[in-house]
Amino acid sequence: MKSIGCYIHIPFCESICSYCDFCKNFYNEKQVDAYLKELEREIEDSYSKLPIDTLYIGGGTPSSLNIKQLEKLFEIINKKLDLSILKEFTIECNFENTTIEKINLFKKAGINRISFGLESINGDILKILERDANKENITKLINYCNQIGINNVNIDLMYAIPNETLKILEDDLDFILSLNINHISTYSLILEDHTKLKINNIKYIDEELDAKMYELICSKLENWDHYEISNFAKHKSYRSNHNLKYWHNEEYYGFGLGSSGYEGNIRYTKTKSLSKYLSGDYINKDSIEYLSPKDKIYYDIILNLRTKEGIDLEKFSKIYKKNLKDYYDYTDLVKNNLLIEKDNHLSIKEDLWYISNSIIIRFLEGEVTNE
Amino acid sequence: MKQENIRNFCIIAHIDHGKSTLADRILEKTGALDKRELKEQTLDSMDIERERGITIKLNAVQLKYKYNSEEYYLHLIDTPGHVDFSYEVSRSLAACEGALLVVDAAQGIEAQTLANLYLALDNNLKVIPVINKIDLPSADVDKVLEELENIGFDKDEVVLTSAKTGVGIDELLTKIIEVIPAPKGEKDKPLQALIFDSLFDSYRGVITSIRVVEGEVKVGDVIKMMETGAVYDVVGLSINTPKEVAVKSLKAGEVGYLFASIKSISDVEVGDTITLENNKAPSRLPGYKPMKPMVYCGIYPIESNKFEDLREALEKLKLNDAALTFEPETSKALGFGFRCGFLGLLHMEIIEERIEREFHIDLIATSPSVVYEVIQTDESKVLVDSPAKMPRREVISKTLEPYVKCSIFTPSDYIGPLMELCQEKRGNFINIDYLDKERVTINYEIPLSEIVYDFFDKLKSYTKGYASFDYELIGYKESNLVKMDILLNGEVVDALSIIVHKDFAYNRGRAVVEKLKEIIPRQMFEVPVQAAIGMHVIARETIRAMRKDVLAKCYGGDVTRKRKLLEKQKAGKKRMKQIGSVEVPQEAFLSILSTGDKK
Repeated sequence: MKSIGCYIHIPFCESICSYCDFCKNFYNEKQVDAYLKELEREIEDSYSKLPIDTLYIGGGTPSSLNIKQLEKLFEIINKKLDLSILKEFTIECNFENTTIEKINLFKKAGINRISFGLESINGDILKILERDANKENITKLINYCNQIGINNVNIDLMYAIPNETLKILEDDLDFILSLNINHISTYSLILEDHTKLKINNIKYIDEELDAKMYELICSKLENWDHYEISNFAKHKSYRSNHNLKYWHNEEYYGFGLGSSGYEGNIRYTKTKSLSKYLSGDYINKDSIEYLSPKDKIYYDIILNLRTKEGIDLEKFSKIYKKNLKDYYDYTDLVKNNLLIEKDNHLSIKEDLWYISNSIIIRFLEGEVTNE
Repeated sequence: MKQENIRNFCIIAHIDHGKSTLADRILEKTGALDKRELKEQTLDSMDIERERGITIKLNAVQLKYKYNSEEYYLHLIDTPGHVDFSYEVSRSLAACEGALLVVDAAQGIEAQTLANLYLALDNNLKVIPVINKIDLPSADVDKVLEELENIGFDKDEVVLTSAKTGVGIDELLTKIIEVIPAPKGEKDKPLQALIFDSLFDSYRGVITSIRVVEGEVKVGDVIKMMETGAVYDVVGLSINTPKEVAVKSLKAGEVGYLFASIKSISDVEVGDTITLENNKAPSRLPGYKPMKPMVYCGIYPIESNKFEDLREALEKLKLNDAALTFEPETSKALGFGFRCGFLGLLHMEIIEERIEREFHIDLIATSPSVVYEVIQTDESKVLVDSPAKMPRREVISKTLEPYVKCSIFTPSDYIGPLMELCQEKRGNFINIDYLDKERVTINYEIPLSEIVYDFFDKLKSYTKGYASFDYELIGYKESNLVKMDILLNGEVVDALSIIVHKDFAYNRGRAVVEKLKEIIPRQMFEVPVQAAIGMHVIARETIRAMRKDVLAKCYGGDVTRKRKLLEKQKAGKKRMKQIGSVEVPQEAFLSILSTGDKK
């Protein structure tokens, strides 16, 4: 039977970071209780009962919920979702509100992967991001995760922040590498509309420095498995299966405020308005994207080309009954070494990943239009 | 219609001095249109005209006005207000006996006002000076009065108006009747009708605006164009009130429209004389000049499959614009396009804008060029209207370029900087005329190509916008000209080549490569930008390689955002032209023009 991924969004935070434009609300105990009730209703309402193999609880800050609320969340999940073949169960946490007690509860609930948002350990950078971090606490929590057997731990690292230097980034990386973790996600700062940073007219750092930072990260993590533009696993076995679903253009449910999903021929994003959500108006109708086979091929290309292995040509022709070459003419790109065709896979070389959009656009321009 | 009760007049003014608003107010006062019907600036019917506040195509309106219990017929003939169209202006003036010289009460007389005034005087027109916009807080009526006196008007002749509030309009109408003479001409002489404008209508063919000077033309007459020799049957005649009213005939002194199922506007040349095939006039009316393009540029569709659409667009525009010329041209960099000729820069911009706006074709226009003359070693003469046509250096004996006499009208404070500018533009000083203590006309001989380049922008910036200028072609002069090529990534981009004076080539080359570095976005690899004369590189810049174009974040599986971002990047790319391996944005091709302020 077909399996599927599942994303559940917890849109609450105890404080709001200056760069975040994702769906978030200040933590409020009563509102969280109401939200969890509604989440249960939403799942009852829209879950098509496929067995779930990767489950990801993201936010906001899921770890901002109190023990009782977390118990309620796990109860809903266990009661309402088919987890019979669940392989990977991730929760996003913030070091500041994660406790030993909560980690114990995660373990009990079957969580086997924790993703911590750290972003930086440098005081000045944290101030800009309006975040906090404490080295001792971080080390303690991560050691505890390993101790009780949650040994799949990710750290989010942000870079290209105003005033950041290569030295600051290197210190961040050194600290992260001193921890007992096996996955790192790195993101360059994006200045999104309606964020504090954007409103305060903060500017991007120089493109050259940004690229140098990316190169520094890649070289520091040289021995790691760089399996997607911004993701590194200590070993192939520690790749995030759930996130790979996104990049492999595979299906996943989205439950909760502002979550996105992909089921069958539809991509959707749920409403970002908490009041609408709480009144049972879950889906944002404007967001629904109906996918033709061509659209699916489009996504296959733009997503898979972000990964180390690239597009699996054999799998492609199995799904679409034709070769990728019949849809897009990419011979020039291969000839010019912008694409590598090897072992039935088509990929972009790692040293070109940072300008991969240009290559992908060229790829799309090669669309064969003789129908 | 009694001939002695006809008054044919036009309005001459500098852009923005309120010509169209004044025309509207006259229309309203004579009851031709009520306020409700008056769209702002009725006479300017094209959108672009209205937006740019200039009149491109001509128009003639018949207005009735009662004066001393007699009915008078006032024919208001509109004229374009830009130097590019000065020939068309002169023909409209030739259709009139009088002109209103409109001067803005705040701005005073400007070069164009003067140029048009001299045109009017050349055509023996009776001129009524009008100071308009007297309602403006910044109006300085006394000063403008003084200026008018300085150019030979009497204070008593001047009418003060505010087209905005309607003040002075009645007085102006009375003055028109009293001062402007009735047309002479005799109804029984052989027909001589002046063509002063034409317009293509997809239902009726070419509509010709005529002023009957001698004789009479009737529906059903067989007419002959004296210059082109074309013969047609008159299908219809009408006047514009400004609603169209059909009439059976137009007699000496009258102004109206003539329809004759004419399919090609090239048969109807502005300035030509219409006569009757079986009762020919002995001669043409004076003043005819064939229209000659002064400025050429290459026009290419960004999407190469739009070439045929572009041809169609140009053909359609040509129906309505005898001055526009075009012929197919091929560029290695840009593919198939057209070499187009225009009366001037404004004419060029208007055509480009109309193609993009009315025909929805995205264009790349190469930098404009004038027509150079090259005498080859075998003494043959080659006309070069495009850098691509420049003969090889070995066979060139000498090169010539067109010069204009340029009159700059300016407050005297700016004489110094303006003379410096003219010098910089390779100008030869002729003289300075003092209009009064504060205003002067500076006359220079300047190569036309320098005017086409960035003269106007510089003139305005050197004088905070106070100076205005006008020019007329005076002929060709020998000049040391060379072709300068631009190389992107080591390859010559033919569409970026320009012809420059050798002594100025280095500065131009520097400015162009610096500008291109600014405009061309970073590519996946480093791109050298070079300017070269022959094999000799005179300037170089490097566009550094692009380092980053991806965003990493993927919140909660929202990959649709990735798609949107990619689509945005893709759309941006669509506006660019792939030249060799380099993607070049549209503006790059015109950047050669606008390197002005950077040094």
